[in-house]
Amino acid sequence: MSVFRPFAPWLISLAVLLLLPAVTGGSAVSVINVIAIHIVFALSYNMLLGQGGMLSFGHAAFFGLGSYAAIHAMNAIGDAAYAGEGFWAHFPVFLLPLVGFAGGALVALVVGWPFCRRAGTAFAMITLGLGELVATGTQMFPSVFGGETGVFSNRMVGPVWFGLELAQPADVYWFMAFWVFAAVLAMWAFTRTPLGRMSNAVRDNPDRTQFIGYPPRNVRFLVFIASGGMAGLAGGMAAVNYEIVTPESLSLVASGLALVMAAVGGLGIFYGPIVGAVVVTLMNSLLSDFTDASVLYVGIVFLAVVMFAPSGLAGGLEQIRQAWHRAELARKWPGWLVGAAAVIAWILALVLTVELVYLIRHGDDKLAQALGLELNAASPLAWGTVVILLAVGYGLWRVTAKHREANA
Amino acid sequence: MVKTLLNRFAVSLLLLAGVANAANPEPVRFALIDPLTGPMSVVGQPALEQLKFTADRLNEEGGINGHEIRIVGFDNKINPQESLVQLQKAIDDGIRFIIQGNGSSVGSALLSSINKHNQRNPEDRVVYFNYAAIEPSFTNERCSFWHFRFDANADMKMNMLTDWVAENDDFKKVFLINQDYSFGQAVSEAAMRMLKEKRPDIEIVGNVFHPLGKVKDFSPYISKIKSSDADVVITGNWGQDINLLIKSASEYGVDVPFLTYYGNTPGTITQVGEKGVDRIYLISEYHGDFTDPEIAERQEKMYKQTGWDLYPRVSVMLEMIKKAGDKAGSVEPVKLARALEGLQFKSMAGDVTMRASDHQIQMPTFISVLKNNMSHGAEGTDFNFHEVAAFNAEQATLPTSCRMRRPK
Repeated sequence: MSVFRPFAPWLISLAVLLLLPAVTGGSAVSVINVIAIHIVFALSYNMLLGQGGMLSFGHAAFFGLGSYAAIHAMNAIGDAAYAGEGFWAHFPVFLLPLVGFAGGALVALVVGWPFCRRAGTAFAMITLGLGELVATGTQMFPSVFGGETGVFSNRMVGPVWFGLELAQPADVYWFMAFWVFAAVLAMWAFTRTPLGRMSNAVRDNPDRTQFIGYPPRNVRFLVFIASGGMAGLAGGMAAVNYEIVTPESLSLVASGLALVMAAVGGLGIFYGPIVGAVVVTLMNSLLSDFTDASVLYVGIVFLAVVMFAPSGLAGGLEQIRQAWHRAELARKWPGWLVGAAAVIAWILALVLTVELVYLIRHGDDKLAQALGLELNAASPLAWGTVVILLAVGYGLWRVTAKHREANA
Repeated sequence: MVKTLLNRFAVSLLLLAGVANAANPEPVRFALIDPLTGPMSVVGQPALEQLKFTADRLNEEGGINGHEIRIVGFDNKINPQESLVQLQKAIDDGIRFIIQGNGSSVGSALLSSINKHNQRNPEDRVVYFNYAAIEPSFTNERCSFWHFRFDANADMKMNMLTDWVAENDDFKKVFLINQDYSFGQAVSEAAMRMLKEKRPDIEIVGNVFHPLGKVKDFSPYISKIKSSDADVVITGNWGQDINLLIKSASEYGVDVPFLTYYGNTPGTITQVGEKGVDRIYLISEYHGDFTDPEIAERQEKMYKQTGWDLYPRVSVMLEMIKKAGDKAGSVEPVKLARALEGLQFKSMAGDVTMRASDHQIQMPTFISVLKNNMSHGAEGTDFNFHEVAAFNAEQATLPTSCRMRRPK
């Protein structure tokens, strides 16, 4: 048993990936493909922030440029396939994420050295500048970046691998499953290398690593390149999925998405960004069907996690796992459960408030209808419910606070 | 709570009634993929409301071949990549008719993606109805059997506009200001080419491009217009870009005529008011005179019901689709598309034809100018566009380079 222990998470993930299309319906596959892209993107971001201590606001530059590299390669494959000769005629679309990786890593290699002298605020501001610079630059070279329209292509070209013609989202799923598994495995392995360990050390105490002969700048630079490459790989996956790349994919909004996903999931735990990518992508794509305020809800979740649960959703999972490990779960779960009930009461109050405010400003929101609520912003009953829910949440929290502390 | 339960009960009764009535044909659904939130929603929302408004009327007449028409809105945030996500969502949802208009950048992405979908799924075709993306290439070198355009393309409009300019000897200096993407460039290029041909003595004193949907303050552009000493401005701007351009021009006292493609974009008239009278020109398939009492009544009802003005082109599009479906005796996409080819229709402005050779609508077009004290004002004001020149369908037409490939 213990021999399999370290492999268990990987075997379970593999099984989930294999069984997922059978369990979910056809239309869910499109969303799952996007989740796969975001998982790789968020994890690559966490190589910088969570493991290297470098807060970046320009990570989408690598994602987007990797994406552009892959889509231009895809067009090259399409052109070469007619002639049937040349390098690109023998290059399968299946391997395009590698082109994305090369693109992202190359850009990081070229621009990264001056960035990595310092972490912290200086690094954050420089990457913010880089992101904006690249995003503005795209408008100046429409032949490369396609202007507002972007560059589009066709993924059904070149040699076919594993019988995957990539015609349908269901075909693309297997492509995504392969790459997300490979990329996550690679990034996990990276944390185990001496370089990965050193990046943790540089994050925690750069002066000391300098004294023992590892210049922090070199370590940061190498991590920066690896992280840029993995973001480019995610970009290559996106190019195959959408068959279009637009300048928006390099924008600050996309960089912000990486930060939100990584932070919501949890920066301190390897699998945190995976959880974050799943939750945020689902919220973004499914919630917008039900409410026009979906962006607001994502923002609130981000705020709540940063303020009240800095270790993220995965941090919570990790606490439960450890408690179970130490056989403390039986003692702790009643306290946690009531705490969760309090949080749910607060969430309900918040949702109700948002929907009521929305009602005043824009008229009825679809989420309220979906929940079967008939709200009336003028009625004191609705606002009374908000206050009661808040009070109930607070009461539950206070009453059981002692219990939780006693069993902490 | 009790009320909610009662409501649920009522809904389930209705559902039961629906099941009992299963002999009715399935509704036919149309996906509108357009900006429904954000600053550009001023062009998406009126189209959505118009589609629903017209659908209600057509459903009373029996829908399309007995199938009830349903309109589903998908918000693309005017982003080509997001549009493809929404397209996939609509297709996954079982919707086979896509409607889009705003932004040729979005239209281009949808066109290529729908072509690919139809090539990959020969049993399951999707048709694209375009009511406002007027980049000429869609019905020329990039023409597709799956695409139908219900608006005159940019070259056709410019051809008529320059005919009118050429007859007016007061115009000596022309200033061009357009959005910096494929459509804006097509407008500018056509204006220069056609003016040179028709009135070589006219001088182009300015040819300016600005980013699409990103400019908040047009005063630098207005001062360029002022200092150029132009006596007429031509612009293809739409959405907030025309709102703000016109507003800024009136604030800075620029009193030369503005020849616009979309001067009737909602919000423009309210903002410019008296200062726009005899100054804002519009080239469009209709004007604000409303000589037909039935249409005038529709305008009044539409504004009262939805808060938006009548959008004649969108209405005509849906009516033509209905006529094609009735003629084909089916709502199967390929059959309906075949019936739509060459279809003639009597619209509020005259006889229109969907030309079979390139799927470009052929219709009469008008140039009109903003006037005060109109019998049917726009946006709840007394201002509206009054006809100054009319072109019949033969004058409006242009040849096409399309070589259409039809499904077997």
